[in-house]
Amino acid sequence: MSEWLPFVVAGLTSGAVYALAATGLVVTYTTSGVFNFAHGAVGLVAAVAFYWLRVDAGAPTWVAIAVAVLGVAPALGFLIDRVFLARLDQAGTAAQVVIPLGLLVALQGGVTATFGAASRQVDPIFSTSSFAVAGTRIGWDQVSVVGVATAAAVALAVFFRCSDLGLRMRAVVDDRELTLLAGIRAGRVTSAAWIIGSAFAALSAILLVPFVGLDAAILTLLVVQAFGGAVVGRLTSIPLAFAGAMAIGLGASFTTKLVVSRPGLAGLPTSLPFIVLFAVLVFSPKGRFRDLARSKVSRSSIRTRRMSLPAGAALLAGALAVPFVVHGGKLLVATAFLAYVLLFVSLGLLVGLSRQLSLCHAVFLALGTTILAHLSDAGLPFPLALLLGGLAVVPLGVAVALPAIRLSGLFLALATFGFGILAQSLLFGTSIGFGGTGAVTLRRPEILGMSFTGDRAYYLLVLAIVVVGVGAVEVVTRTRLGRLLRALADSPVAVESLGVNPVASRVLVFAFTAFLGALSGGLLGTLYRSVNTTSFDFSASLLWLTILVTAGPVTLGGQIIAAALLALPAWFTTPALSEYQAVAFGAAAILLAQSRNGLAGLWRRPDFARLAGEGRARLARSPVRDRLRPGAEVRA
Amino acid sequence: MKALELAGVHAGYGRTTVLRGVDLSVPQGATVALLGANGAGKTTLLRAVAGLLPLRDGEIRLAGRPAPSSADGRARAGLCLVPEGRGIFPRLTVEENVALFAGGRRRRAEAFDRVAGVFPVLAQRRSQVAGTMSGGQQQMLAFSRALCTDASVILADELSFGLAPIVLDELFEAVAGLRDAGRSLLIVEQFVDRVMGLADWIYVLDKGTVTFVGEPAQLADGRVFERYLGASR
Repeated sequence: MSEWLPFVVAGLTSGAVYALAATGLVVTYTTSGVFNFAHGAVGLVAAVAFYWLRVDAGAPTWVAIAVAVLGVAPALGFLIDRVFLARLDQAGTAAQVVIPLGLLVALQGGVTATFGAASRQVDPIFSTSSFAVAGTRIGWDQVSVVGVATAAAVALAVFFRCSDLGLRMRAVVDDRELTLLAGIRAGRVTSAAWIIGSAFAALSAILLVPFVGLDAAILTLLVVQAFGGAVVGRLTSIPLAFAGAMAIGLGASFTTKLVVSRPGLAGLPTSLPFIVLFAVLVFSPKGRFRDLARSKVSRSSIRTRRMSLPAGAALLAGALAVPFVVHGGKLLVATAFLAYVLLFVSLGLLVGLSRQLSLCHAVFLALGTTILAHLSDAGLPFPLALLLGGLAVVPLGVAVALPAIRLSGLFLALATFGFGILAQSLLFGTSIGFGGTGAVTLRRPEILGMSFTGDRAYYLLVLAIVVVGVGAVEVVTRTRLGRLLRALADSPVAVESLGVNPVASRVLVFAFTAFLGALSGGLLGTLYRSVNTTSFDFSASLLWLTILVTAGPVTLGGQIIAAALLALPAWFTTPALSEYQAVAFGAAAILLAQSRNGLAGLWRRPDFARLAGEGRARLARSPVRDRLRPGAEVRA
Repeated sequence: MKALELAGVHAGYGRTTVLRGVDLSVPQGATVALLGANGAGKTTLLRAVAGLLPLRDGEIRLAGRPAPSSADGRARAGLCLVPEGRGIFPRLTVEENVALFAGGRRRRAEAFDRVAGVFPVLAQRRSQVAGTMSGGQQQMLAFSRALCTDASVILADELSFGLAPIVLDELFEAVAGLRDAGRSLLIVEQFVDRVMGLADWIYVLDKGTVTFVGEPAQLADGRVFERYLGASR
């Protein structure tokens, strides 16, 4: 028993931190219907403010905490609600997910760019002295963390029971429209919820940093572990979310003890929250997760024009000319751009065609690359190894399709998010992944006696493969599978009522997208000759999604723009540009998430009313209204 | 003096236009019944008046002044819509519902007394979770929002929806009580006979436009009824 006690203490401590974060997440989600993917990033910003005040400005610790938790974080939460979420009132599910994701990418990128990516040590907040219980040393700091978390949760419960604002919040959760009819300013109530939720995120992040250090990536990820707890509470129950997060903290701690002698499972404790997240979402009874998002607009009205044949031919001719005009490093960038086209075409199959958000695409690329490397090392010729690498990733795509059959919108995005981090921490370290060294090397191929080791030759090889891949996707989108997926995106019920089983098409599209993703990963890996674990980590998936939504996920033109945007910073080789790349794309995704088809949509038909905002502003310029002007034919 | 005035109101959802130039007025202290077939736009009209649906054209005036643009603003300006279905917070208790309707916990005691005076059954259910009550009791609670505010204009959308006749008697008694207290009412109802006895004015809505305005006696004439409501009786 006593050998377990230290793990109980450690588990309760981390569980308390997750519980605080999960509580804040549930408060914001239930009152606003927007799931804050940027919850961890809000905590990160507050933790940076805390660090800056305490270390650089020399403020006393308690003042720094108070300013960060009660000043900076609430201000940020208020801003998020008023500036970004006010736009979401009539938005579709994709925008409901992409705008918070854009915020996450922008905030994390902004902190990294201004504060540096390096992790910083943070001095303890509470006393590190300890006392002994049954032979186990228990730190006062651990006791304090659990105490603060419990006190905050109790205070929140009392606030909900006994205050007018708390009552109004519960009313908004129950029926937002009715609160308006009762004369309550529901917008203010939602803002208050964001203020409270952000303060909880800040508190959990600040309690955490003395234990793990101040590190943008780790902090965003660790507070994100609260997702697991929040999902246990179905994203709506605060007590269940609190308990779930506590259980995850304890479980992770126990798992640490269990796997201590098995290095192969070292990734298990940290990925436990994501196992819970994925498992709860996949195995819950259908319909258990009710999307709280308000007034979704059917996007079936999206009409896009296909790229015309002359335009496609001109693009191809231009692409063929590139290696004879561009040399050196820029030719490498151009080659990467081609591989990115394949990446975004594959992601566009999900995001644009079947309108399912995948937040785990990097896994397909990473494993496509590593398997290609291993097969090449085993002596297989390049084309076969590339093909087999792609096929080997297909089962992973099918595994992601499992939640896609049952879940949609936000919950699918969450499940794929969990899956991505899970696969990263469980598979990257294995022998089919990057192995113990954390990196694989690849050689440019020789096919049928022709060498593709030169940059120009390799460019042309990539171009050929990408053209075939894009052609295959065009065929799929124009035939039965494509039609079915479009129909499923509009109304799964209608498709099922026609006697069509949607499972096969869902599984097929995920298998296909995984295959293409693996191909593009293999091409990128072979281009750079070496790939390591950080090349394709989970944050890459998020960045790609924001870029694709920015550029336009529905059409090939948009997907090509996305590839160009991703390749842009390397082309100009200005470090400042790549530092702020994430900020720019996060912000752009927020602005363009609700446009018909991102930048590509603006290209076709400038629609700046959509940039200006939804609702009234848009209505004011709509042709419908013009037709309804007095004197128009309707009046007759 | 008009408590509520609509002039040339156009409204709709997405590409569908539902209301096509509706003119309607509720005089101070009067009761107006809004009749029409399914899909005529009755609920849309009430939602537009309440501010839940933006107007595409036209104007709404409350007590002679332009109505505030937001739904909550209109509620504070004295407009009260009891929506279709059950206009209650199902996961809160009866008392908490009343506290919200009355605008705060401090005013809940007085408001609750008023409600209990009209619907004694709700007094016994004070701390019950509202969503667990019977449909009739839920509708009483929903309608009690009109009782515990001093709203001058009350809009009621199909109070009778899915309720037993005996419950209806009690509800319509409460409606009559409000009318006698001098409140202005705009009522949408399927039970035409019940509102006929209550209303001062009848409006008939068809395909988004007003096709008949008159006193109940005019509509009681079978031919008019048939012509405007598409059914004989």
